[in-house]
Amino acid sequence: MNQTTRKVIGLLGLVIVLLSMIYYTGVFRSHYTFAEDLLLTGLSPVQGFFSRIGRKTYCFFQGMFDYERVLAENEMLREKIAERDNLSYKLLELQKENHRLREMLGFESSVEYSLLPAEVIARDPSYWFETITINKGYDDGVKKDMAVVTSQGLVGSIYYASKNSSQVLMLTDSRRAVSALVQRSREPGSIGIVEGYPEKSEFLRMVNLPPDANIQKGDVIISSGLGDVFPRGLVIGHVTEVEKDQYGLLQQALVEPAVNFNRLEEVFIVIEYNNEISGGPEDEPDNETEVETDEAENGGEDGEDDEGEILSGT
Amino acid sequence: MEGAYLNNKSHAVPYLIVIFIFIIIIVLQGSFLSLFLDGGIIPDLLLIAVICLVFLWGENRGLIVGLIAGLFQDLFFGPAIGFFTLSKMLVAILAGAASREIYRDQIIGPMITVFFATFLHEIIVFFLSDFFWGIETGFYYSLEKLFLPKAIYHFILTLFLYPLFYRAEQKQFFYPSFK
Repeated sequence: MNQTTRKVIGLLGLVIVLLSMIYYTGVFRSHYTFAEDLLLTGLSPVQGFFSRIGRKTYCFFQGMFDYERVLAENEMLREKIAERDNLSYKLLELQKENHRLREMLGFESSVEYSLLPAEVIARDPSYWFETITINKGYDDGVKKDMAVVTSQGLVGSIYYASKNSSQVLMLTDSRRAVSALVQRSREPGSIGIVEGYPEKSEFLRMVNLPPDANIQKGDVIISSGLGDVFPRGLVIGHVTEVEKDQYGLLQQALVEPAVNFNRLEEVFIVIEYNNEISGGPEDEPDNETEVETDEAENGGEDGEDDEGEILSGT
Repeated sequence: MEGAYLNNKSHAVPYLIVIFIFIIIIVLQGSFLSLFLDGGIIPDLLLIAVICLVFLWGENRGLIVGLIAGLFQDLFFGPAIGFFTLSKMLVAILAGAASREIYRDQIIGPMITVFFATFLHEIIVFFLSDFFWGIETGFYYSLEKLFLPKAIYHFILTLFLYPLFYRAEQKQFFYPSFK
């Protein structure tokens, strides 16, 4: 056997070993390998450091080159805050009334969350995999498949957790799909699947909608709670277009995400939630980490905790 | 003594330096560049670095460099261990074969190699992703809208990065003396 043949055989062996590793670690494993855990634990503070520097530099240059726009935006936001302040007082009254009526009827909050804030420290630079890295891991109580949200809506779910950082699979990733429904109609027959839309990366796509599903442009899409990964009622986005699918049998909708996936800085991990509609026992958050207890219902339009942050829709 | 060390090209120190450079590139790529280029194509600086080192170190050591680069990319961001290891290793082998025929002191050779290597790398990643997880993006769409802009991007970036690696090699940066 000459040297070239030996080289080719060695190379083929290496390719087979690597393919087997991809198959095993990409399909079967439920957590990081020891080497990944060790490396990510050590380097997550470094990633966080560079991420913060990057953010500050970006803000500095953006402010410098876009000064007039930033000024106008600032003015507009001040007006919006004043409007929102007014609205929040009204909302508070409605929340109290809702709470009172629910107590009278013996109902409980439909969805209750316990949220853990986390900072985004890195993002997968390749375009095939839409993942971000956050600075909270299993030491903070984070586990695989926990939902990740922002105040705007749903981001994705935890893919793997290391000691002090976790990888989040965003909704735009082709490996992630979420069962969703139309907030306006809330018909069980209008449940579809929301997934990434690689050819229009700034949009999501809602597929598998029955031909008679009550859905139209402008509708808000929320998570259905089916599948036990995402709590019910989290805002995903709003419909910009409804059309027949490629076979003409079902409907599909183009959804503009509520969250800007390209500019995520801070997210919340849903540590615990309860999807009960009525009657069931109310869960108490039992983790010892820094958590905020939020309650929301009807897609985040109402809540009953005065101190909690409301995960509201668009 | 120092001469013997420099002649012993299988020494571990250059690889340790390369690992350190790769980690910096991965961290910068994921946390710094992704902020500035949000929504756009983020260059694969690791791939460019691998091709540059293949040209400077030859195909055998280039293969090891490709393996190391891919492995570290897998550890940080990879969907599975072995995914980028395989793609970067295969690209390093082919770039190594090309480097035998191309003069390394002229920058255009590495630039053209990086251009084609980017296509090859992305095609390997495309088929591996499709095979293991299934992707819905069409191949021809990806070729035109994703691979081609990235290849052009890398071609231009090599103009700036190859001289850095070339100079580092000339200045014995990868072979420090510990006197």
